[in-house]
Amino acid sequence: MAAGRTAWSLERRRAFTLGLIPALAVLAVVTIGPALYLVVTSLTPLTPIRPGSGLDFSTPFANYRQALFTGSFDHSVWLQLELSAITVGLQTLLGVALALLLNSESRFMGALRTGFLVPMVLPPIVVAIIWKVLYTPDVSPVYAMLDAFGLRPGALITSPVWALPAIALADTWEWFPFTMLMVLAALQMMPNEPLEAARIDGASAWQMFWHVRLPYIRPALTVAVLFRLIDSIKAFPLIYVLTNGGPGRVTEVTNYYAFIQTFNFAYWGYGAAIATLMVAGVFGLSLLIARLGAGGVEDA
Amino acid sequence: MGSTIGRRQVLAAGTAAGGLLALSGKAPAAGGTKPLKGVTLNISCWSAPYPLLLAKYIPEFEAETGARVIYTTPSFPIYNQRMGLALATRSDAYDVVNVTFIFIGQWIGAGWVLPLDSFIANPKLTPADWNAADFFPGTTTAFRNAAGQLCAIPWIADVMMGGAARYDLISKAGFAMPDNFSEMPKMLAAVNGKDGVPGFLTENHYGWTFPGYLQGFGANIFRNPPHDLMPVLDTPAAVEAAGFFSDLLRKFGPRGALSYTYDEVVAALKSGTVNYATENEAFVTQMAQPGSKVMRTCGFSLFPAGPAGRFPQVATHGWGIPAGSRNKDAAWQFITWAMSRKLLLRMFREHGWSSVTRRSIVELPEFRSKLTLNGFDVAKMYLDTVDLAAKGYMAYRTVPPYPEVDRQIDIAIQGIVSGEKTAQQAMAAAQRNSIVQLRRAGVKL
Repeated sequence: MAAGRTAWSLERRRAFTLGLIPALAVLAVVTIGPALYLVVTSLTPLTPIRPGSGLDFSTPFANYRQALFTGSFDHSVWLQLELSAITVGLQTLLGVALALLLNSESRFMGALRTGFLVPMVLPPIVVAIIWKVLYTPDVSPVYAMLDAFGLRPGALITSPVWALPAIALADTWEWFPFTMLMVLAALQMMPNEPLEAARIDGASAWQMFWHVRLPYIRPALTVAVLFRLIDSIKAFPLIYVLTNGGPGRVTEVTNYYAFIQTFNFAYWGYGAAIATLMVAGVFGLSLLIARLGAGGVEDA
Repeated sequence: MGSTIGRRQVLAAGTAAGGLLALSGKAPAAGGTKPLKGVTLNISCWSAPYPLLLAKYIPEFEAETGARVIYTTPSFPIYNQRMGLALATRSDAYDVVNVTFIFIGQWIGAGWVLPLDSFIANPKLTPADWNAADFFPGTTTAFRNAAGQLCAIPWIADVMMGGAARYDLISKAGFAMPDNFSEMPKMLAAVNGKDGVPGFLTENHYGWTFPGYLQGFGANIFRNPPHDLMPVLDTPAAVEAAGFFSDLLRKFGPRGALSYTYDEVVAALKSGTVNYATENEAFVTQMAQPGSKVMRTCGFSLFPAGPAGRFPQVATHGWGIPAGSRNKDAAWQFITWAMSRKLLLRMFREHGWSSVTRRSIVELPEFRSKLTLNGFDVAKMYLDTVDLAAKGYMAYRTVPPYPEVDRQIDIAIQGIVSGEKTAQQAMAAAQRNSIVQLRRAGVKL
């Protein structure tokens, strides 16, 4: 009997494995293959200007040395962290606050919720153009209004101090609805009993949020933050349209830096090394956040 | 198997070959023959006045030849990125492309566009009266490869000059168009803010708009291009030039002056929301065309001279055939049509296109008289500038690693104008970073 069961078990495992092969093959072709090619390319000085450079593995870590010890890459990483911290922080605060405000069943609130989702569904390039108009003093209605009051603010996107916050503001406008939507969904799934119990116990609004609602929405919030963090590292259209990485280098975040190195200067191997480092960084951050955010309502 | 030729390609090639013979007069006359019927040409150029104007005439080429033309004109940076990738991968996506001046060293040096000499010399492919020698030598020289073969036909001599949207304000303040650097700040200080119009603006591609000032102060990008590519961006003259140029933008520019691209500068000039700019002739002369709000008030001059002389920047862009094109003969047919004297003359007569590269057109009396705008002899300025560039001071621009240095200049000027750095700091950083970039590109310094 035992031998029969073992044979059946082996047979079942083989069937599962065979069944998985098509999916694994697709995964290998679509995801793992290009990713491996990226890593292999990062070990070469590949540039389209020098034929054969894609097969030159004589100094496999030269691109990584260049990235880690020349300053420009470090600078872009710090800018990236700054931009990500501001955008994800603002989007989380704004998203949670609005989700709490809109968490009711009235038709008016429903319409309002839909209105808040508009920025998120606009194509990124449209968002960039909207903010380009808003930030350009000659054509901006905001500047026209401020000028009418006798104020003459400088252009934010050409200021070394304000260019990065200006990008962060536009990015926040575009993406806070995502956090709001995730949190709102979690809030609407929340049972009423814990809230009623807290109310009977005399909890204040803040205590209800901190001790009851927040623990409940924590898993959803973690996922939202994680998604936004990964997306913030991919920031591109806003920077391309609004500042082109400038003034100077003050908005040349890692993604944009990789773009310039790869497509303006044709350093494809170096661009691949930066992309590999970015993937590793995002992977590490994701693990960290997932670990920090794990637990949720059970821990409360 | 990979190179199997399909039935359609055979038919298309046969039709194209027959058509070329017909066009050159070697085929029997056939009423209504469409020599390029069945051929689709993918053509691209960056968005500039000439390629946009050419779009109006392309239906005539299609009707005449039967070819179908897919024509795109993205913005300058998008075009260059897209084309750099397509050419590098020997893609067959394009049949005729613009060879961008700043990338001549890379694109022609790497053999990504074809030499055209054999096309020009072939009487079956090129009409006898097409006359390649008519193009300004100053523009064709830039497109020659190491073997001396011509790899693109120049469609523009992009000469930099001075243009004022509100010359009325300048003359009212008692000034003429500034002829040198010392007159510029005086004139700009007098007119800045008059009628609410800021005094000065130039496009934010400073690797293009700044070198005329740099050289005017006696400095340069490289020590002795193309032979000695050691950057010399931190010399006292270079720092002085950077400070002077940045001051013009900072003191007399509109808010957000650093964000203006070339098309935004043109729009600002044409609408009279900025007064004076040093920009390309093809851009500033648009102020005098119908539809411009400053048509009656604009003025023009040569690019101002500095203490070391006058160095108006001259660029050229040209039509080339990518090595990967599958329709090379038809592509050449398009180029000969687009750059024919007949069509260029029509573009000039019908739409005022003036940055012409054929000497026989520029020297026509009607060209000279039509290009006298509000009393300014722009045709003479154009010819004088092209002649000045023949001295060879533009040699820095076509060396293969120039795009990297161009970016360092952009960053330096932005840093100074925004107040992030002093001219000394910004140019020292540009020098350091340029050396790093050039060494990376394999240049021995």
